Amino acid sequence: MSSGVRYNGALMSGGIARRLYHRWSLRLFLSELLAKRWMEPAIPFVLMLALIAYFGAVTPNYATWGNARQLGREFAEMGFVVIAMALVVISGGIDLSVGSVFAFANLTALGLFQIGQLPVLPVIAGTLAAGAAVGAVNGVLVGYFKTRPFLTTLVTLIILRAVVDLLSQHYSVQLAMGSNTSALWDFLGGGALLGIPSNLLVLGIVGGVGHVLLSRSRPGWHLTAIGSSRKAARHAGIAVESTLCLTYVASGMLAAAGGLFYAARLSSTGSDTGVGWEVNALTAAVLGGVSLSGGRGTVARAVIGAVIVFVLVNGLVRMGFPGALTSTALGAVLLFAVGVDVKWAKNRVKAIQKIYLNPTVVELPPAPSTARDSGTPFAENDRLRDSEEIGLDQVEGPEDVILDRQDRLYCGTRDGLILRFSGPRFEQREVFARIGGRPLGMAFDRDENLLVCVGGMGLYGVTPQGKVYKATDETNRSWFKLNDDSRLRLADDLDIAPDGKIYFSEATIRYEMHSWHLDGMEGRANGRLICYDPATRRTRTVIKDIVFPNGVCVAHDGQSLLFASTWLCSIFRYWIDGPKKGKIETLIDNLPGYTDNINRASDGCYWLALVGIRSPAFDLAMRNPGFRLRMVKQIPPDEWILPGINNGCVLKFNEKGEVLESLWDPGGRKHATLTSMREHKGWLYLGGLENNRIGRIRLPDADPDWNGFDDYWRKGKA
Amino acid sequence: MKPCIDNPAAPARGAARRWLAAAACAFVLCACGGGSSGQGGGQAGGQAGSGAAPPPAAAAAPAPDLSGADSSAALQAHAEGALKGKTIAWVPLAMGLPLTEIWTRVMREEAQARGMRLEVRDPNWNTTAALQALSALIGEKPALIVVHNPNVQLYAKELKRAEEAGIPVIQVNMVSNYKTAAYIGPDWHEVGRLLADEIIHQCGGGSGQSGKVSIVQGEQTSGVSIEQMEGLSAELATDKAIQVVSSQAANWDTTKAHDITATVLQQHPDLCASVGFWSGMEIGAAEAIKSAGKLGQVKVYASGGEGKVDCQNVDNGLLTKVLSYDAPDQAKAVIQVASFILQSGARPDAFRAANYSTLHWMEKGKYDPALCYDWNNQWRDYADSAPGQ
Repeated sequence: MSSGVRYNGALMSGGIARRLYHRWSLRLFLSELLAKRWMEPAIPFVLMLALIAYFGAVTPNYATWGNARQLGREFAEMGFVVIAMALVVISGGIDLSVGSVFAFANLTALGLFQIGQLPVLPVIAGTLAAGAAVGAVNGVLVGYFKTRPFLTTLVTLIILRAVVDLLSQHYSVQLAMGSNTSALWDFLGGGALLGIPSNLLVLGIVGGVGHVLLSRSRPGWHLTAIGSSRKAARHAGIAVESTLCLTYVASGMLAAAGGLFYAARLSSTGSDTGVGWEVNALTAAVLGGVSLSGGRGTVARAVIGAVIVFVLVNGLVRMGFPGALTSTALGAVLLFAVGVDVKWAKNRVKAIQKIYLNPTVVELPPAPSTARDSGTPFAENDRLRDSEEIGLDQVEGPEDVILDRQDRLYCGTRDGLILRFSGPRFEQREVFARIGGRPLGMAFDRDENLLVCVGGMGLYGVTPQGKVYKATDETNRSWFKLNDDSRLRLADDLDIAPDGKIYFSEATIRYEMHSWHLDGMEGRANGRLICYDPATRRTRTVIKDIVFPNGVCVAHDGQSLLFASTWLCSIFRYWIDGPKKGKIETLIDNLPGYTDNINRASDGCYWLALVGIRSPAFDLAMRNPGFRLRMVKQIPPDEWILPGINNGCVLKFNEKGEVLESLWDPGGRKHATLTSMREHKGWLYLGGLENNRIGRIRLPDADPDWNGFDDYWRKGKA
Repeated sequence: MKPCIDNPAAPARGAARRWLAAAACAFVLCACGGGSSGQGGGQAGGQAGSGAAPPPAAAAAPAPDLSGADSSAALQAHAEGALKGKTIAWVPLAMGLPLTEIWTRVMREEAQARGMRLEVRDPNWNTTAALQALSALIGEKPALIVVHNPNVQLYAKELKRAEEAGIPVIQVNMVSNYKTAAYIGPDWHEVGRLLADEIIHQCGGGSGQSGKVSIVQGEQTSGVSIEQMEGLSAELATDKAIQVVSSQAANWDTTKAHDITATVLQQHPDLCASVGFWSGMEIGAAEAIKSAGKLGQVKVYASGGEGKVDCQNVDNGLLTKVLSYDAPDQAKAVIQVASFILQSGARPDAFRAANYSTLHWMEKGKYDPALCYDWNNQWRDYADSAPGQ
């Protein structure tokens, strides 16, 4: 009955253009692009490039190496101050004192060097310490005494400015006339390494390290968390006070570093040193996409903003704009940036949501009849009507069920538990393990560890003693894919090959557990088959681009793997051993319902759960992506045409892919959904994603001694 | 009033300064057509005295041999070749001041008359922008740069870099610690000394006054402030009766000068004189004195070249005396010197020269009307009555 449907849903009809159009979608690319975190500063980044290009075009000698070096040298000091400001803004505060600290550091450095006649290294240390000290004052006040950052740093700004003015009155002429020099000092001020100005080089190093620290390290995440919500961060156990305090210290040191390079470069103690820099720095940070409300931003974004402000001011000055107009332009830019910040932050997620769903064509032939009098193996019956209940109302959503050698019954639940039922009638319920996530498919390995696919987490194991361990939660990232697919989002079902390798399906990499039905609206090949080898502890993707791979079952001979594609209503066979190793074949297609878990039967056949039954209306909808897109956009979700996930059945098929029989619970009276079934010692145990029970029916013709564990691991040994 | 070069009260100025002045003299003679010797009743400074011959100039390209019947045409071609189409870049502290506006206007007119173009970069008091403007100009390679240094250090390295890039630099009024081809502006030591003399005359020993003096400095690290302060302090120290009760920096800010002076007046109601390093700023001090009802009692002195504004303030009694210089004339000198430098073909660091501006006293009813230029006036009458033109 195979008509050659492919696991990735590639179209069988239509020209190449139509196939390509539905396989490669610009919307898809755009939505995934927008969802990237590094796309948040996309607008500032483009603005930065545009500004540089513009000034490069209109200003003579702009796009030259010499000019770039000079600009870099002038930019670096401001870069430090902007990063200082950005750090504090990300922490949910603001540091208005950066300009004063800058001026103070400038004066300190010159004082130590020119009047104190100290060597350069102590000058550097002293200057940074001065900045850190001012930062510590801010930090202690804001962090420990919980004063408002705005007022606190405003006061620091005023006091420190006054200190700078006072010191200047006494020393500035002396400093201006100072003539102490040293090679290292000159290097700081005007040297270059590999053609890169010294201050820019240090800025690059500090910025790079800061970026990684902030976006990829624990302290950085703590800082961002505090910025998002101080209260929530405290509840999460983050040391809010000390983290905040250290943030201000870091800010002070960064601003001081800027002042140090300024001192070495210019030796100038002009009274307007650093005046108004806090506004420039704030403008730059916000412009780069560091949110004023805290919790959002990176060092790289701050630097992008700094470059924009610098290039803009520098460009306007170069073009001979009157100074007042330049200031006005900067103010206008700040206004624009704040506006965009608010709008973009608010609407980005909405924009992504609007274009994230990208339906494609799924063309299925007319479904075989399931009418009671149809005479097909799919004919509806009442064979599950009289199933026994296990754990009625004690279990929520046992997507998969499995039994161990001691006839105990295991299932996962919606709240992340693995439950175990024991006793002659399974009346004893206990929590076997707490994994978290959404436990789905299960299997026992040779050592009787229970391996579980956990939606949202990955592949986990539970030892017979109930100890949880992580098997894997990531696989190799595929090239040329915007969406980072290395993390496992929705591991669904697994089975274990005779060599111990664990094969499991990841249903979709574009949706989460709670929105998996949207993948159905899309019908795209978003899933994959992954293999984890416990021996080497390595994980790799075996087959990419499968339309919602679901159930996985190693064939009785251990040479191939059966996997279900839910939206294609098909079963595929993937050869993992033997002469056909690596080949993929279609085993069954055009089933009347949406395929879910597959498990072995005692008679050499296989059980298959159909989670829902196809309807002509939905089949038609699946042929028309445009229709589904309009539907999703224009009407509320409860009025969508969705696959009917409420009226499933269990099928049995043989090695040739012939469906032999079906077991129904019409109307889903006992089993709202059927996602799994497991044969064990003459009984068939039934699980369902939305069920409030586990069911079982007697299989009169089955081998009363057959059980899964022995079939997998004790074959020929018993 | 003695000519500045013979002033024995300035021993600090050593041989270097003397040399500088001498070079300036030679320079001025050939470049400025004799300069503009003041004629007004308030003339204070004089032409730098002729002294030692200029030291052998640093190697310049040998001058073309121009003689014979067509030598005038050749000279004309030489001048035009050196100047036509060239750009002179100009970075003032800020536009919008009478001084910088008139400078810019006259410099532009004079430059255009010689086929050159004046390019202005206005940083509007922002030293960060000013420095960027200068750096950018060096990259753009104009024929010559004219700067107005915010302080003695800020531009120093960039000025050196400009010369290394082959661009000669002229500094006006505010000088840098790094001296370039030419400085055009007052001799601020002399300005300080002359102001001090006037103060001593009014407040010093035997005057019967308190002898209390308040000094309102500008930007402390500016060349104008540093040198004026040196000249002023040294001279004031010669009279034991003079007591400097306050010496603070108002950073060229009128409001700050006002606030400083208001405070000083409260502490010293018997203040004898307030002296400011720039008339545009000292107005604030004068207003504070006026508010305190002490106008006339407290003498207000300043240096500056704000044109019509200064004349008005002297006439209405806000400022007792202003030691001024002819700003349009300075601007002409800038372009003349620039023209000379460009025609000489010399390296940017080939010489160091100063062209000190002639100083003029202004007091109520007694000043050269040429000093009352109006930069807003579209007609060239600012120059019509200028002497020596």
